[in-house]
Amino acid sequence: MNLSELIHEFILALIEPGILVGSIGTVSFINTANSAFSLGLVFTCISLLYFALNADFIAAAQLLVYVGAINVLIVFAVMITDQSVSSDSEKRGIGYFTALGACSILFLTIVCIFHKINDFYSSSIHQSEYLKLNLFEQNDVQNIGYQLLNKFLVPFELASLLLLVALVGAINPARDEDEGKDIAENQKKSFVSSTSPRDKSSFF
Amino acid sequence: MNDINSFLSRLNSIINFSTILPKIILIVGLITIVITDLVNKGKNANFLYKIFLISTLVSMGILFYQLISVIAFEDLYTNNTFNNLFRFFILICSFISVLLSVDYVLCSKISLVEFPLFKISAGLGGMILSCATNLITIYVSLEFLALSSCFLSGYTKRDIRSNEASMKFLLMSGASSSSLLNDFSLLYGFSDGQVQLDNIIDKILFSQYIPIICISAAFILAGTAFKLSLFPFHQWTPDVYEGSPTPVVAFFSVTSKVAALCLFTRLFRLIFPYLSNEWHIVVELLAISSMILGNLIVVTQRSFKRMLAYSSISQIGYVMIGILAADLENGYASMITYRFIYIFMNLGTFARITPFSLRTGSDNIKDYAGLYMKDPVLTFSLVLCLLSLGGIPPLSGFFGKLYLFWHGWKAGLYLSVTVALVTSVISIFYYLKIIKLMLTKTTNLVDTLKTYENQKSLVSSIISTKLKSSVEMAMILCALASTLSGLFMDPIIKITRNTFF
Repeated sequence: MNLSELIHEFILALIEPGILVGSIGTVSFINTANSAFSLGLVFTCISLLYFALNADFIAAAQLLVYVGAINVLIVFAVMITDQSVSSDSEKRGIGYFTALGACSILFLTIVCIFHKINDFYSSSIHQSEYLKLNLFEQNDVQNIGYQLLNKFLVPFELASLLLLVALVGAINPARDEDEGKDIAENQKKSFVSSTSPRDKSSFF
Repeated sequence: MNDINSFLSRLNSIINFSTILPKIILIVGLITIVITDLVNKGKNANFLYKIFLISTLVSMGILFYQLISVIAFEDLYTNNTFNNLFRFFILICSFISVLLSVDYVLCSKISLVEFPLFKISAGLGGMILSCATNLITIYVSLEFLALSSCFLSGYTKRDIRSNEASMKFLLMSGASSSSLLNDFSLLYGFSDGQVQLDNIIDKILFSQYIPIICISAAFILAGTAFKLSLFPFHQWTPDVYEGSPTPVVAFFSVTSKVAALCLFTRLFRLIFPYLSNEWHIVVELLAISSMILGNLIVVTQRSFKRMLAYSSISQIGYVMIGILAADLENGYASMITYRFIYIFMNLGTFARITPFSLRTGSDNIKDYAGLYMKDPVLTFSLVLCLLSLGGIPPLSGFFGKLYLFWHGWKAGLYLSVTVALVTSVISIFYYLKIIKLMLTKTTNLVDTLKTYENQKSLVSSIISTKLKSSVEMAMILCALASTLSGLFMDPIIKITRNTFF
């Protein structure tokens, strides 16, 4: 192994325990805020993994979206809910073992698939084809930007409209209705006296 | 004279060149609504609705103009008759459903502005979904439609049932679109990185990957059948329909179903032509179960909106027969014709329920008893629309169903057509039961109907005459369309014939 591969292995060996420790911490901390923070550790290590795999755009997107938005939202929600420390979960019922069995079967399946793919691609024919693809010389971000504004222009603009509508829709249930009520009251003052059958019904 | 000619020809070329011009007009309308509300600070709500109506009308006009002239192709869309017809339908749906929602929104003391905003965005999402040939565009526009519909269904936020409806809708639409996304990633992988639907078909090697293609067909079915409310994926329909505000139910009972039908047809037709035997059998099974389930459960319903929800489930079963019966010389004519007639029938029924529920505050079918004495216009038009939904001869629903079942019989779907006929009879029974309830003169009126007269006069004196008549305009339009379209069946069939691809 030459130097670059050695460095690569070293970095991966640093990142992977981080992911493992973070995920174990997420499921086994009793205090929910601790587990939310270790979820943040998992997301950060995953994005570092993407950097190491030469996918810089996805790494940046992962940092922005998962760590910056989703994890912050989770921590925020956890800290707002005022909960006592959860009771002991030492009793391991049938659900625990079922989940353990299902997850271990899934894990073994994934490991077998990866071994098969590894064997498939290790043979010399495929390696030369793989090197011919010349993936390392493309500039991913530039390519993505180019495609976004040329081929995928309509979904791109539509996604920005979607953001606008989602913002309006998220604020709509949450805002205070005083302004609307005043104007509505002004418009139908004499209606108020006769709204009794309507108010009593279950329709509104 | 020369100047006018050259100006007209340039205008002609602009309109013909840009196939996304109708959508751009809708987007401009959306932004105008937001800005107008910001400037006016909540007053003058009628103006906003007029903007919406004007923008819908203008884009309908342009779309119609494009339909009858030569159209240029673009990369992200293909512009054949199929797409244009669906876009036109969606615009009609948006237009009519806004007409009947103005009154409701004013009366129920909820904020006025966001309603046309969400309606425009849902219509926009539906339109782009109708002519998308790109996996990514399909997904983004589907999410657009689903999110806007979800916000619309949760609009009356003080009503608990509306909150429940929008929660259910959001969760289930999220689950179904995740299944659809899973399938898209399968298709993307197996076609070696192609996103355009045409390229995907070229590159999938059917000889090697048949089990995976079957799995991806199953995922697409799960994803799109949710929006169509086909049999195992219909559970959201009654609860969401009952909880959402009535004009919203009217809107997405037609719009999202039309858009989802277009998506379903396009995906199955384009991607899986070699598997047509397999997915034909599955869709036939789902259609039969939807018809049976919808029509049997509708008999036990006490709420009008739930009844309409179950009847729309069974109507989708009929329409699936039309999809299965598509062949070369007729295209999807039967399905599209029936869809067109169904829009008017359904919107007409909702246009009657909305003022009734505004005036009496009740949704129970029993409260409709003796309506004939209080409001003959409403009763008569509701009778017409319900009979058309059931499929009684001189009305257009009969002609639509006749054409659909005849096509199905010709294509060899004997079991489905038989089941459809039997369940149609069951649905006629139920509609006639409601009509009989309305038309009989009862001596002791129900409590809610006693206050009917008072409410009506107060409503009409407060709201300006323009708005009051918009619901009646919608009512009359739909009643006329659902009776007379049967006479104009032939030209409609001729237009919808050229839609096979």
